[in-house]
Amino acid sequence: MEFSRRRKQTGGKQTGSGQQRAAARPAPGEHGSPDERAVACAAVVSAADSAAPGDRLVVALAGFREPIVVILFLIAFFTAISGKPLDGLLLLIVATGLAWDAAARYRGHAAARSGALAEPGTTASAETTPPVGRRQSVGPAHAGQPGDRSLLEQLRPGGRRLALVLAGFGFAAVYAVLVGSFIRYSWPATVGVIALGATVVATGWRGPLRHRPDPGPLPLPGAALWAVLLVAGGLWELSSLLQQPDLSATSYAHPTISALTDPVLASHVGRSVALAVWLAIGWLLVDR
Amino acid sequence: MNSHDFTVLGYVLILAAGVVVQLLATRTQARIPSLGDVVTRVMRTRTGRVGILVAWAWLGLHFFAR
Repeated sequence: MEFSRRRKQTGGKQTGSGQQRAAARPAPGEHGSPDERAVACAAVVSAADSAAPGDRLVVALAGFREPIVVILFLIAFFTAISGKPLDGLLLLIVATGLAWDAAARYRGHAAARSGALAEPGTTASAETTPPVGRRQSVGPAHAGQPGDRSLLEQLRPGGRRLALVLAGFGFAAVYAVLVGSFIRYSWPATVGVIALGATVVATGWRGPLRHRPDPGPLPLPGAALWAVLLVAGGLWELSSLLQQPDLSATSYAHPTISALTDPVLASHVGRSVALAVWLAIGWLLVDR
Repeated sequence: MNSHDFTVLGYVLILAAGVVVQLLATRTQARIPSLGDVVTRVMRTRTGRVGILVAWAWLGLHFFAR
């Protein structure tokens, strides 16, 4: 609150759209690391915080400095124009939410930095705020009273995890068999996949289900190997796609991965197995 | 070998290369992170985390949804 008042007092004198845009531009030598982007965006946010409505747009656009946000918007656009408007709309919603979220976090960075400047001796470090993306363990207020706890809570930690895993397997099996019984691209299959996908993305948005140690900085040449493989796979797929007679007509001579999987996904068993694998990967990801 | 076989061979080689890199990462002392470590590292930030999860959801939409 204190720093907020001070920011408002000083912000009006400092803010001019030219100055804000100058702050938004990367300084010479800026390499665009996440920290540097955060500092640059924090400057934009703090400058525009008490300014005209037009300048608030600059704050909102701060979220677009995240490369993944831009990539998602591009995928949404190309998915929509390639005949899948529903997919495009869903991706657009996620991309917009992520841009908004990133802009809000930049605003938080600006507030923390202003607070640290306003009150010498205090540091707005990561230790003073909850770690980003980690769930806080919120136990029931009446923990320790066996009579009030659910059956799951009364189990020992090992037994609880086993029960959850078994329940997860049961759900996965039912889901794979049920949704796999629907014809591809039908509305029931679409609803089933969108419901699960949205649930997993929403669950993952809040952070990992349990804490995992940070693997630390990755050795660059080794990590680059994975990037090379990903790009190579993408380019190979793209070259096959562009050699089709039409974007929507598959080619036997230059099959895409989708075309190669068509025979497998034509049967109920094939669809169920593919859905089970997709579900398992989703579980592994949301648990990271 | 026709165009079809050549295209499929490309996919198989890329997949096999991924398996080899993963084995090198997990079974040897090579300074190569495993795929799991790379994904975990990317998912440390919210945008990276949501980006990976959306990519996963997009696969399901692409293959099954209209």
